[in-house]
Amino acid sequence: MAKFTGVWGVFENLDEMTDTIEEVRSKGIRPTTLSPCPRHEIDHALGPQFTLVPWIGLAFAILGCTIGLGFPAWTASDWVLPVGGKPVVAVTPFIVIGFELTILFTAIHVLAGLAILGIIDSYRFPIPKACKEYPRFQRDRFGVVVRCNESQLSEFETVMKNRGAEEVHVEKA
Amino acid sequence: MAVTTLDYVPEAGKVLIDDHKGHPGIKATTLSYGQINDDMLGMLEKPHPSYFLLLLGFLLALLLGAVSLSIQVDVGIGFSGISHPIAWGFYITNFVFWIGIGHAGTLISAVFYLTRAPWRTAIYRSAEAMTVFAVMTAGLFPLLHTGRPWLAYWLIPYPNERLLWVNFKSPLLWDVFAVTTYMSVSIMFFMLGLIPDMAILRDEAIRKGQKLKALIYAPMALAWRGTNHQWLHYMRGYLIFAAIATPLVFSVHSIVSWDFAMSSVPGWHTTIFAPYFVAGAIFSGLSMVMTVLIPIRTVFGLEDYITKHVIQSVCRVIIFTSVIVGYAYATEFFIAWYSGSPYERAIFYFRPFGEMASWSLIGDQRISFPLIAFWLMVFCNVISPIPLWRWKVRNNPLAVWIICALINVGMWFERFNIVGSSLQREYNPYSWGEYWPTIVEAGITVGSFGFFFTLFAIFVKTLPPMAIMELKEATTPPMKNPGGGH
Repeated sequence: MAKFTGVWGVFENLDEMTDTIEEVRSKGIRPTTLSPCPRHEIDHALGPQFTLVPWIGLAFAILGCTIGLGFPAWTASDWVLPVGGKPVVAVTPFIVIGFELTILFTAIHVLAGLAILGIIDSYRFPIPKACKEYPRFQRDRFGVVVRCNESQLSEFETVMKNRGAEEVHVEKA
Repeated sequence: MAVTTLDYVPEAGKVLIDDHKGHPGIKATTLSYGQINDDMLGMLEKPHPSYFLLLLGFLLALLLGAVSLSIQVDVGIGFSGISHPIAWGFYITNFVFWIGIGHAGTLISAVFYLTRAPWRTAIYRSAEAMTVFAVMTAGLFPLLHTGRPWLAYWLIPYPNERLLWVNFKSPLLWDVFAVTTYMSVSIMFFMLGLIPDMAILRDEAIRKGQKLKALIYAPMALAWRGTNHQWLHYMRGYLIFAAIATPLVFSVHSIVSWDFAMSSVPGWHTTIFAPYFVAGAIFSGLSMVMTVLIPIRTVFGLEDYITKHVIQSVCRVIIFTSVIVGYAYATEFFIAWYSGSPYERAIFYFRPFGEMASWSLIGDQRISFPLIAFWLMVFCNVISPIPLWRWKVRNNPLAVWIICALINVGMWFERFNIVGSSLQREYNPYSWGEYWPTIVEAGITVGSFGFFFTLFAIFVKTLPPMAIMELKEATTPPMKNPGGGH
């Protein structure tokens, strides 16, 4: 885990937290936030964010569909067994298999993608150990983590205190 | 450094608000984050002795099923009442019934998520758990029905020494893929929803110094911290799961219905089977949700969460699907007459009026099992839900519970009515037969209920039966300036 230099604060109220996010962003830094549930107010304050999850879903949906249609067609051609004058490679019944595998592949890989992206993000956007282990973020408190230079520490500490943080912690690598 | 805000007092048991008189809604919208946490975690505390009594009852039913199952597997499929020409009996009935029960969970967690129905919040976790357990129960029956369940892996397309592949054109194989996919996706969807709640349980266990619990919950939480990055991926992933689970739920029971509809058996070979089965599945699933959740609501005092508004909303969907199911019954009879096919007409005459006597109560007074199944089906599924049209009945949890329990019974018999009766009277009289289940089949059926309810009883005391994160999302967040907006 990368060494952390920055400031993190604990907020009781959502509006105080979003005000802090906006002020931190106005200084050119996008903070990491922690919250007990997703809130659109936080998303608005943070601005547009990008996630790879839909693209992972789409890629594996296409793969699942291809395998679901292609594999039965291949097995039917591998051991040809004509029955009742029906086509050996019959598309209609294979659509069912294609449909099911599209969904199965999407689901498995979206879940795996979530886990992998979570690991990657923990390196891209590190947060200090004390902040990670602070249990009330899962309960009823909001957190704002600002990664910054040592020279900016006091500035962001002041921002958080002025915006009504219950606690402010300064961390140096 | 001192972290002073950790010295908080749990708020469990406090009710912050009065009843919403004249304004039914989810009361959780006025509960605080902390109170929601504590109320939900309070449900996982040491259970009352009566819980163990209930669990014992379920375990006994499960034991009966296990004993019956072992006899069945040991002696062979000949020990059941299944014989030529009736190859499908109680086992396939149970399979179709339990798959249907599972549908409500996906409907509530995925379809109502996409349609933004707010009342789903309090009940979707339990319904989702029901889906997982019901599909697990259902999955046992086709394996058992094969007669040699230890060879069930033959259903999977794998390279083998005979260079043979499975028949992908068979609806029975579609079933294998549909049910396996449905079970996998349901379990993953369930686990996905649990991640943030597992983090709550993990942190609570750490706070209380419960190391073993923390050790169990931590891997299930997948290092969840609730950061904006995690929420971003999570919410998008959840939306994708809901979007793919929605067509899946409709496809699964359609495919199950094609097991019947793709054949040329009178009473089965009909195009309405897919919507008819799906509507029936939603109907029975939602009734099972109410059958299970209304007692839980009373026992755990969850009136603030599973409000009467939630019950009313579920009842409205039950009424809607009841009408579809009733219409489908009528359509089957109309089409049988309108088709002009004597075989279709005969089977739809036999179902309500008998002539398939297979059981004697007293002396020569013989009773047909499909005949009982038919009239129970009509009474429980078409007539008994009629009182739900009245607001007063929907507002009475006891009345709703009784009606939903009746619907569960009716839906089981509906499945039997479809599965069991058609094979008794096919085209030629020389291939007619009778079916009556043996004690082993009845034992396994009872055992399937024991299996389902045992798993559910364990679930309500080990995992949060309501989605804590979503309840918090539904409530008003703490604001310094509540009217200030953002």
